[in-house]
Amino acid sequence: MSSEFARDDVPPLTEAIQPGTATDPTVGSTDAATLTVDGHEVTLEAGATLLDAVTAVDTNEDVPALCSYDREDNIGPRSECRTCMVKTDEHGLVPSCSFPAEDGLNVRTDAVAATEARDVNLDLVLSNHNLRCTTCGKNGRCELQDAAIANDVAEPRYGVLDNRGAYEPIDDSSSFIQIDRNKCILCNRCVEACNDVQVEGVLRLEGNGQDTRIGFQNDAETMADSTCVSCGHCVTVCPTGSLVETGIVDAATLPVPGFTQKNSIGRSIEPSDENTELMTPMKQDDWSEKDGQTSTEAATESESEDWP
Amino acid sequence: MAEHILSESVVLRIAESTPEQEVLKAVASATSIPVVKVGTTGYPVLEPLVLLTKNGQTAFYTSCSPEEAAEIATTLDNGNLRIEDADAIVEHPPERPYLPVPDLWPLQTGARTVLRRCGWLRPTHPEDYRISGGFETVDSDTDTVMSAAHSVTGRGWGDAMTNTPVGTSWNRSIDADGDPAVVVNAHGSPGDRLLLESVPFLPLEGALAAAQAVDASDIIVYLSEADEQALECVTATVENLPTTDTMVHVVTGPDEYRAAEPTMALEAIEGSQRLEARLRPPTPDIEGVYSRPTLIHTPRTLAQIVHAASGASPTRIVTVRGDVQHEATIEIPEDGSLATARTAVTVDGVFKGACVGGQFGGLTPDLDIAPTPNALDAADLGTEGIISILNEDRCLVAHVGEQSRFARDENCGRCVPCREGTVQLTKLLREVYDGSFRPDDIEELLRVMQSSSMCAFGRDATRPVATGLDHFEDEFVAHADGRCPTGTCTTEPQHEVPQ
Ligand code: SF4
Ligand code: SF4
Ligand code: FES
Repeated sequence: MSSEFARDDVPPLTEAIQPGTATDPTVGSTDAATLTVDGHEVTLEAGATLLDAVTAVDTNEDVPALCSYDREDNIGPRSECRTCMVKTDEHGLVPSCSFPAEDGLNVRTDAVAATEARDVNLDLVLSNHNLRCTTCGKNGRCELQDAAIANDVAEPRYGVLDNRGAYEPIDDSSSFIQIDRNKCILCNRCVEACNDVQVEGVLRLEGNGQDTRIGFQNDAETMADSTCVSCGHCVTVCPTGSLVETGIVDAATLPVPGFTQKNSIGRSIEPSDENTELMTPMKQDDWSEKDGQTSTEAATESESEDWP
Repeated sequence: MAEHILSESVVLRIAESTPEQEVLKAVASATSIPVVKVGTTGYPVLEPLVLLTKNGQTAFYTSCSPEEAAEIATTLDNGNLRIEDADAIVEHPPERPYLPVPDLWPLQTGARTVLRRCGWLRPTHPEDYRISGGFETVDSDTDTVMSAAHSVTGRGWGDAMTNTPVGTSWNRSIDADGDPAVVVNAHGSPGDRLLLESVPFLPLEGALAAAQAVDASDIIVYLSEADEQALECVTATVENLPTTDTMVHVVTGPDEYRAAEPTMALEAIEGSQRLEARLRPPTPDIEGVYSRPTLIHTPRTLAQIVHAASGASPTRIVTVRGDVQHEATIEIPEDGSLATARTAVTVDGVFKGACVGGQFGGLTPDLDIAPTPNALDAADLGTEGIISILNEDRCLVAHVGEQSRFARDENCGRCVPCREGTVQLTKLLREVYDGSFRPDDIEELLRVMQSSSMCAFGRDATRPVATGLDHFEDEFVAHADGRCPTGTCTTEPQHEVPQ
């Protein structure tokens, strides 16, 4: 890739951080706005999104808004799950979490197309999720579980990720944070917590299509080999059981004899003996030499064999 | 050599699209009269093409080998050339600025407005372009350019204003805070590649005019790193542009389909190694490259603006490929019909239908449709400017299955309806082979992908399947019964779904 069009005013540290994600524009309204949601009038300050309006009233239909995160300004909206779709007269269906609250909009949560889109998208999230809640450390405090229950999901239309051959091994290499990517919904909160809040530059998003996953900016394969400082911010923001503090991995699991989170997946990456410090060895070794450059993630070639 | 090519009384023009330029070299060493390299005409079937212009006549020698071309040049040199033996001859005024079109298939097909200089001028020579009426739009007043912009709709999925009047976007950039920039998105489309290789000054003039209209200080020409000839050509052209207050940069991105998406183009320009779409709104014309208000247009859009500013009626550039003997890029008036495009190619076998609109085009058994956004939209076809002809041996269930799998493997991975939706869509299509055809479930998924995907990749990826079901549902039913009408899908029904 050649680029002779570069910006020269970027401070070196943030330039070195490569989270792998797009630089989104500033979302939210430019002015204060009054609009209606399911007939209820709401007035919001500048900078608001339609989701702010939706959460301010008692809506006719449940809006899961799964990937949204309102506890820290530096995180989100990623607007990837599309379980927050609402209908507006003016713009049709829009994702409420990232759409600006424009004055005079007429927003409906109960339009047939909006309900259908939220339901189908929630089922699409579940289709790629290992839904073995009984062995999950986040059982009972998981935002995906909450959303599925609130949305009365009985039988997800596309099933759930339940194919042992397709599972990624659990990364249990760090003594502090465990990663189970089979439970990741790619909300990107952890990547933003790591890069935009803590400015640590450890986590990134990598790959594309079905290979999209969270990974490490130093190209490490495991948490132990990453430059993680074990601050734990990513664990705090993760909505699911994908990032869990090692000490509480089994805290919420139901005691089914012989059935644990790890044997439900089949494979895991275990810590090596010397790795007992909170800070991962890579971080201790040489933080200053980190160059922050990521290798180009080889994109998946479309399979060349014949259909079907 | 004279300052511009039109003043040469005798000249040999060579149009060949191979980088080796063997015919050009053979001819140049065989004669003492001027020999120039011109851009391709858009018709590989005619090339390598040798044009001899002499005494107000131009003779066309098509598909010349280096030896044949050298032979023409030598006989010309020793005065023995019988011009009547050429494949076609056309008479024209001595300084004719555009390719004179002889009665020669497929050159006389369609219109030649935007493409009229292709095959006639030296692509990177500013004086050739100027003498043919070029650079009038950069010199005209802003009102003329703005009203042209309001009359032209964006061409191609790489244009941030696809099928929408581009002037609206320019107004947003003018009103937005910050120093505007203009991106010329030439990534991945054959029509845009032709413009950059044969008449690069035209889209660049459009970009300069746009930059003047919105007061932008930078123009960034963005193309795929695989398009080496276009890259070379546009780089040379940029050096030869008239000096203005605008800086022009050339940046390449990876050779991936998704890299043409307008916001992924911005990501590539900013040097991101992993490309994914950006959120909108606000649109890039308000907050784009490095947060600056950024117009993103394809070369085809910018070329149309230049022509609209001179009062010409709009046309569409369409590339025809697929089951044809030679690909062709042709220009069709907007009030014409896509059926014209079919007459510019020789179909291999019997015509069954066409996929209109590029990678994620719609299927249709009938091409008699106006090439306008409204008419194409009504038929759920795409405006991408690429038509793939499908012959009767093509299995359309396999065709849409392959497109769905491509979408599954090539999407950026950002949003659920596209990333997970294409996985489920591919599975649903694969299950047809196992006897389970569930059109209602497929259509529900298509509706949601269409209405909630973040960018045009996911929205457009629904089109092949949706139109396949509309026009060829009986083929799906046949496959569910274990029968492929064309005999293409020979696989025994399987019960395992490919991951
Ligand atoms: S690990 Fe958790 S926080 Fe990170 S992207 Fe996955 S679900 Fe989101
Ligand atoms: S529609 Fe597809 S390509 Fe576009 S943002 Fe979503 S996942 Fe990426
Ligand atoms: S909450 Fe809006 S897209 Fe996820």
